Amino acid sequence: MPTLRVNGVASSVPVPTSMPLLWALRDALGLTGTKYGCGVEACGACTVLLDGEPERSCSVQVHDAVGKAVTTIEGLSPDGSHPVQQAWVAGQVPQCGYCQSGMILAAVALLRRTPQPTDAQIDAAMRNICVCGTYQRIRAAIHQVAAATAATAAAGSAGSAGTAGARS
Amino acid sequence: MSTLPDLDRRTFLTAVAVGGGLAVGVLGDALPARAGVPATSSALGAWVRIGADESVTILVGAAEMGQGVFTSLAQLVAEELEVDWARVRSEAAPAAAVYANPLTHAQLTGGSTSVRGYFDALRTAGAAAREMLVAAAAARFGVAPGACVAARGVVTCPSTGASARYGALAADAARRPVPTAPALKPPARWTTIGRSVPRVDLPAKVRGAAVYGIDVRVPGMLHAVVRHSPMVGGTVASVGPRPAGALGVVDCGDAVVVAAATTWEAMQAARGLKVTWTAPPTTSATTSATISAQARSLMTAGPAVVAESAGSATAAIAASTRTVDATYELPYLPHAPMEPPACTASVTAAGCELWAPTQAPGLAAATAAGICGLTPDKVTVHPTMLGGGLGRKFENDFVAHAVKASKALKAPVKVTWPREEDLGHDQYRPMALIRVRAGVTAGRLTGWSHRIVTPSILFQRGWVPDGAVDSQSVDGAVDLPYALPDRLVEQVRHPAAVPVGFWRSVGNSLNCFAVESALDEVALAAGVDPLALRLRLVDDPRAAAVLTAVTSAAGWSRPPAGRGLGLALTRSFGSYVALVAQVAQPAPGTVRVERVWCAADCGRLVNPDTVDAQLTGGILHGLSATLFGRTTFERGVASPRNFDELRVVRMADAPVVSVQLLPSTAAPGGVGEPGVPAVAPAVANAWARLTGVRRRSLPLG
Repeated sequence: MPTLRVNGVASSVPVPTSMPLLWALRDALGLTGTKYGCGVEACGACTVLLDGEPERSCSVQVHDAVGKAVTTIEGLSPDGSHPVQQAWVAGQVPQCGYCQSGMILAAVALLRRTPQPTDAQIDAAMRNICVCGTYQRIRAAIHQVAAATAATAAAGSAGSAGTAGARS
Repeated sequence: MSTLPDLDRRTFLTAVAVGGGLAVGVLGDALPARAGVPATSSALGAWVRIGADESVTILVGAAEMGQGVFTSLAQLVAEELEVDWARVRSEAAPAAAVYANPLTHAQLTGGSTSVRGYFDALRTAGAAAREMLVAAAAARFGVAPGACVAARGVVTCPSTGASARYGALAADAARRPVPTAPALKPPARWTTIGRSVPRVDLPAKVRGAAVYGIDVRVPGMLHAVVRHSPMVGGTVASVGPRPAGALGVVDCGDAVVVAAATTWEAMQAARGLKVTWTAPPTTSATTSATISAQARSLMTAGPAVVAESAGSATAAIAASTRTVDATYELPYLPHAPMEPPACTASVTAAGCELWAPTQAPGLAAATAAGICGLTPDKVTVHPTMLGGGLGRKFENDFVAHAVKASKALKAPVKVTWPREEDLGHDQYRPMALIRVRAGVTAGRLTGWSHRIVTPSILFQRGWVPDGAVDSQSVDGAVDLPYALPDRLVEQVRHPAAVPVGFWRSVGNSLNCFAVESALDEVALAAGVDPLALRLRLVDDPRAAAVLTAVTSAAGWSRPPAGRGLGLALTRSFGSYVALVAQVAQPAPGTVRVERVWCAADCGRLVNPDTVDAQLTGGILHGLSATLFGRTTFERGVASPRNFDELRVVRMADAPVVSVQLLPSTAAPGGVGEPGVPAVAPAVANAWARLTGVRRRSLPLG
């Protein structure tokens, strides 16, 4: 029986190792925040993070996820307090919400690699489908997180510069 | 986001009869019994429960499918109830007559009717609950109700200084009769209606905690998938032995359901199952080229039914100096909601429980009752969140599969449709061939003739007789906001056997493409600017206002270099939406939509931010249909079958959309659908102005 480490918890999962991770998460582990949309890695609704990288879990077999850290939407924060989740609520992004787990995880991965993404980088990274058409608000929310990160970094460097100045 | 049409009354009564006799009822009915309601929670009428902990739960009769009704409908109640918005939460109402939408007389979510239909009823429900609380407080204080004031969840008596919180009054209040004609606040005193309060459903949605139909888990449940015949309308002839991994195989007539321990194992087993199918006799004719050729033949020789007529269009066109004669074609189109159809059923000797992402809980209950031989009151429907509805989840094919499977396997069963089954066995937006003829004399439009050849959704369901006008076929062709004294609108029913259904904005998305494209063709023939032509023709000041606003915002008279601007208007679902699309041609023949401006008059707004989101979403949904959407058939076999073949607008394709909501004190209009119809003609008109090439067939991409 394969062991998966999902959201920091290791569990033996009673499924064939050839099963797509998506269905092991949803049906065996009851983590239904990861959605089925196509099964052919076209829509991105099933996006999860594997060792921090966005992967379409409908096309990752369980044995390929063994030994890696799997992060699903449920594991992003215990209470919806991740900056991306907060920006999503502040910007009133979701409509039906079905694609948003995948969108949020794709955005988390983008912002980790590229803290200040351009519109073109957002277009390239955010390839998931949203039939409700929330793209404009997704883009704005990503920019909002990026701006907040930049402001925090600036405050941090100003603070350390001040400390350095006082010391010298 | 929704779709169920503006059904006329007769159609509607038929639908209601199908639904098991849903009655009208706003107030006065007791709250239907519900499991899991805390004993400390008191029901004040059917719509409001107040907990001893001051929580306020508002039951919502409409399905939450992304359009924000859990928020906007709750705002209507909260406004009159006088509570802090922060304490309000929403819950899906069960299937029960009392929750029927007063506009449609049924618990159906569609036709952009939620706010329109419940606007008065829910304010009345909130006011009634408030009066019950005030009466309970007055009795406790020993004063007249008129001496008390309710505000922010507290009743006070200013003259004595007495006060009590709603939570402490709720049990007493619940024992009082529900007032039937409570006093409503004038709009000037509204504090919640008209405010963009945050949506109540979003915190759960960003945590992956919202439960959609596909997420339902019931103890002892089997996971199952459906497999249909390769061709639409095929039926099961024989089923082979149960494949490895399957825990059950059920012949549902139109499909087989294969159950297993997990969805994926069910998918594998379904692939391995041997099934022989009986093709319907229509299969060979169910080929796109055949259907299209038949439409052309019907356009000239088919029996036409007149949907609207005034003056003499034929004579006016014949007498004009120039004529426009243009034929437009639209393909079949799948709904493709992000959440595919999925339903969980548990059939026992005692009755049937359903967990379904349904736009029509009453119809779902009636479907289950029919299959199980139960009366509808023995069916309990638990509506879930919908991962998009778009009209698809008004249907009950997926409900029937779950009920049949649970009944046969004697266990709770969740049936999920693989995407290939969804796109291959939808109830598609009908194809349409539309011919518009118009006369032009001295720069003016003289006569107008519109003939649509299209399969009839209502006839196919037996809801209208042959030879009757199908309102769904001609919506967007009749009752135009233009003065057309000599006009004729006709419908010819196409007999194609492809199952057709209600796709977001229904007939409006077909006819608006033809009407608004043809108006630009008339403008070209008349040598008049398309905006000037429309402003001259329009006979409704609200329509004129959105045309003026949107063209002003878009800089209509000064398009950027190398770009085309196109204009289109829809008056639908009680709202007015004008769009300007800005189009570029990055490569020869390639349509790129860069920007869309929208000006809308949707009457009074309950939550402006959700209205903005709905219109924006409708525009992008309409753009997917305009550029990419199409289902074709070859001997009954549909394609595309998945999102690797069905292109929809993604982030990189999405234009910048700017929505301007015009202030209005008119009754609320719909917002889920009116964003859709004008997209295709606005884009086609922009393309024609940029390139000189008129595109009359969708999709354009």
